[in-house]
Amino acid sequence: MKKNKTARGYFLNTAVIVLLFTAFQILTAAKGSQGAFKLVLVPSIWQCCYLMVLAASLNLVLGFMGQLSLGHCGFMAIGAYTAALLSLACERAEWFDGKNDPRFLAVLIISVLAAGLLAALFSLLVGIPALRLKGDYLAIITLGFGMIIINIINNLPFCGQDGLALGSAGASLYKNGLGFGSKAKVQFLWFALAVTILSLTLLFMFVRSKYGRAIKAIRDDEIAASASGINTSKYKVLTFAYSAFFAGIAGALYACTNATLSTSSFAFTNGGILNSTFVVVMVVLGGMGSLTGSAVAAVIMFLVNYEIKNGQWVSLLPASLSGIFEYPMLVYALVLIIVILFRPKGIFGTYEFSLQNLIPDIRNAIKRHRAAKAEKEEAKANA
Amino acid sequence: MKTSRFFSILLVLCMVFCIAAAGGSAFAADDQIIIGLISPNTGALAAYGTGIVTGADLAVEEINAAGGILGRQVQLIKTDDQSDPTECLNAFNSLVAKGVGLIIGSATSGCTSAITDAANEEEVCILSPTATADSITTEDDFIFRACYADSFQGAIAAAYAKQAGFDKVGVVYCAADVYSKGLFDSFSKACAEYGIELAAEQSSASLDVQDYTNQFTAMVNAGVEFVYAPYYYDVIGPYVVPQARAAGYSGIIMGADGYDTTPDYVVAGADLTAFNDVYWTNHYDPSDTSEKVSSFVQAYEAKYGSIPSAFGATGYDCVYMYKQAIEAAGSEDSVAVRDALADRSAVYECVTGTFSLDESGTPLKGAAIISFQSDGSTVTSKLVDVVTQLP
Amino acid sequence: MNTFFQTLIVGLRLGSIYALVALGYTMVYGIIRLINFAHGDFIMVGGYTMIFVIPVVLRLGLPAWAAVLAAIVVCALVGMGTELVAYRPVRKKGTNMTALITAIAMSLFLENLAQAIPAIGPNPKVASQIFKAGGIHIGTVTMEYTTIITLVISAVVMIVLFTFTQKTRLGRAMRCVSEDKAAATLMGINVNSTILLTFGIGSGLAAVAALMYMAQYPKVYTTMGALLGLKAFVSAVLGGIGIIPGAVLGGIVIGLVESFTTAYISSSMADTFVFLILIIVLILKPAGIMGKNIGEKV
Repeated sequence: MKKNKTARGYFLNTAVIVLLFTAFQILTAAKGSQGAFKLVLVPSIWQCCYLMVLAASLNLVLGFMGQLSLGHCGFMAIGAYTAALLSLACERAEWFDGKNDPRFLAVLIISVLAAGLLAALFSLLVGIPALRLKGDYLAIITLGFGMIIINIINNLPFCGQDGLALGSAGASLYKNGLGFGSKAKVQFLWFALAVTILSLTLLFMFVRSKYGRAIKAIRDDEIAASASGINTSKYKVLTFAYSAFFAGIAGALYACTNATLSTSSFAFTNGGILNSTFVVVMVVLGGMGSLTGSAVAAVIMFLVNYEIKNGQWVSLLPASLSGIFEYPMLVYALVLIIVILFRPKGIFGTYEFSLQNLIPDIRNAIKRHRAAKAEKEEAKANA
Repeated sequence: MKTSRFFSILLVLCMVFCIAAAGGSAFAADDQIIIGLISPNTGALAAYGTGIVTGADLAVEEINAAGGILGRQVQLIKTDDQSDPTECLNAFNSLVAKGVGLIIGSATSGCTSAITDAANEEEVCILSPTATADSITTEDDFIFRACYADSFQGAIAAAYAKQAGFDKVGVVYCAADVYSKGLFDSFSKACAEYGIELAAEQSSASLDVQDYTNQFTAMVNAGVEFVYAPYYYDVIGPYVVPQARAAGYSGIIMGADGYDTTPDYVVAGADLTAFNDVYWTNHYDPSDTSEKVSSFVQAYEAKYGSIPSAFGATGYDCVYMYKQAIEAAGSEDSVAVRDALADRSAVYECVTGTFSLDESGTPLKGAAIISFQSDGSTVTSKLVDVVTQLP
Repeated sequence: MNTFFQTLIVGLRLGSIYALVALGYTMVYGIIRLINFAHGDFIMVGGYTMIFVIPVVLRLGLPAWAAVLAAIVVCALVGMGTELVAYRPVRKKGTNMTALITAIAMSLFLENLAQAIPAIGPNPKVASQIFKAGGIHIGTVTMEYTTIITLVISAVVMIVLFTFTQKTRLGRAMRCVSEDKAAATLMGINVNSTILLTFGIGSGLAAVAALMYMAQYPKVYTTMGALLGLKAFVSAVLGGIGIIPGAVLGGIVIGLVESFTTAYISSSMADTFVFLILIIVLILKPAGIMGKNIGEKV
């Protein structure tokens, strides 16, 4: 019975994904060359993709394992530079001829995987010493790690200017083997979506596996978990590496989206949305312990950020309100404080979206809503 | 329950706004010439963005008061890139989606290079006020700038050292800052060319570093009398110069356009004679008495109550360069304007100098070499020389 | 040899400031086990207060450093306000993790609020001279009076705080709260007001740190607290977080490491070495240099 249900779930999910994908491809083919679609919607989807993967990967550590990592953008930086430089090396070696070459696809896939693997490798270096300790040490060490990584990249000669042998140490890498332009972004949109769906699925499967159960036990009570025979250090380090792998992949997607990389984008003190703190905001907003929540919150944060800066409606607001929007960072800080104070479990709490359970979930929610209403009315009647 | 409903409403609203923004280009203000402006108005480099925005605003105001361009009023659409490449690309895309074909921006080389490919692909003109990295402008593209490139500015400093008779120099720069690093690269390259020995090379890890004593002790130990220190005003005024003197370094400190407005960032009450023997290269000389510069400085002061920085001056110039190009092209069509800007015979009479653009779109203009002078309690700038060509 | 002394003095100069800031971190962490990320921004608040008060103080004919009194009041109020508005409600119903995230949010909030205030804005501000220039000459190297004053103040603050927490009634109440909140309540200690007092003292210290910082590095900007606070926190962890003399020791060590790395190894990699030292110490001695390893009770 149970097996049957799982199989049905896989079938349902695959079917819906294939359906959505086809619909999307048709839409792209039809509207691919139109201005707003090409210039606004597609780049936005690309950015949402890497933010979703990044937020979901941090949620694994923050929400499911209960450890705060403030250096997740450091892993993303490793991923982004790895993918950019590896693909640049292939381009310089003329292994592929333009972005339509099928060999480019192979380079792209290899770059994305390499980005993830290198990030995971570095996470072991940080995680092994830091995760042996209890308390908030991971937060500090990862915060320090984020700064070290940026400091090191700034001083690596092949990571600056024109990159590789032509490079010179610096904070900006102007050449990028990926760096899709507007047309290429439309052309490879399927790739971004595929990587994102695959990453979210793999993260979801991890949470549902025995590893996921073990880290949730560690989060709830580490001593009890280790008393019941869970090797807490091993599970923590493993989860951290798994999470960093996907942060690296998010970095590779970032490298695809941007023609230039700049270390300041990944810095803790950076004012932009791509800042380790903002990823924390996304996770908290969506719900610590809900991958669905992280993905949705990433999209919300992206939209809010984009709209505050580029939306036309901001100029229509009264002066006092649009004045606040001149300082988007202030708005995010307020959002974070309000969410923590009034709804600490975030939008979704620990709820996970699933197609199979969608209808029963909605039915339950309505039932609960009715019950609450009835109860209220009863209380009123009693009063 | 209530909060979750609130959030879901918020979510739906966001979606609607996004679709609205994606769908319509409501900026059909018929008879206006629209120029987009991308600058870092918030974030770490907000001070540069403020400079560019105020300068450009002033220029637009003047042009509109004088009857506009081709008899049409000019409107500036301002966007913020927070000095982040991704945000810069977003701002660029949203401007282009609204039908803007002429863009001023962005302030930093990192941001500007993030949108150069996209601009060429979309055939939109980019005129950067202060992106100095060499690789930003190339031939046959839509990218132009109103400032000189790093390779020129660094080389001017090296030439100055050579001319003043120094055959041994030192450098202190910030490894994490593109501007500082770019100038260091071009300075050291020019030094090799002119046969000057780079005897000491020190750096700082970020612009947040407060103490430069060790770096200048190394300069003293190396026995150099000329140090190239490409930093910004807010590091030079309170930190670098006083600490260098305290560390026993008494030679020349030379910098670039980042030194502009340093006299506003010195420690009142301290011994300011430390600022003697500090030289820097700039786009223009704010104390210049020529009509163009003094009327700009006066108008700026009247409007904002402060002396314009180099960012304000180049932002102002960018608007006037577009004005001249649009008038030459006869329309604001981006391809026509590009062709007008690419015309190497056009001469732009700007606040930051009278110049024409070279084949890549970089101004061929001289650098003003300026020195600081102090009687102990105030610091003033004095024009030393204007260099138009490298030796 | 001169270079060595010069480097040593620079290290002490940086270290004494890290030490002063680290004392504030340690006070708060010692009592509620919370990394108060906003502490660095309290320094920014103190710095800007002094920027605005110093001209007034000078006009009254008082020395510039008297402005620190105003800064102490403002910082203490901001600190206690933060505790009342943000930390206390979260502590009541949230976990350690949510409290930590609130601290990060408060830090972001303060930094960006400052930038949004027109009188402050994004441009940095430079303070006027606070103490008279000059110092003790050792060979060709000068040890400035400000450096010496900072070291002395750090030591005095350390001793006062240590005595305060060990000997006085209030201090004992603080230690009691940090050991066991429930037991403290049973003993008749008002836990909330004790925590509030700790925040007041810790934030007041931030104003003193801001004064000494500005006396040597006279630039104030909205994000000045980020890196400074981070390094000070690293100092507190290095020395053993929650231990008052540990914070001072940690601060001096971090300052010296930074200075000697800059002078002798690589000037652009100083930050890397600071954090490497932290990671190495935490591996060897997780509780910090002066900390004691205590097993967790079940």
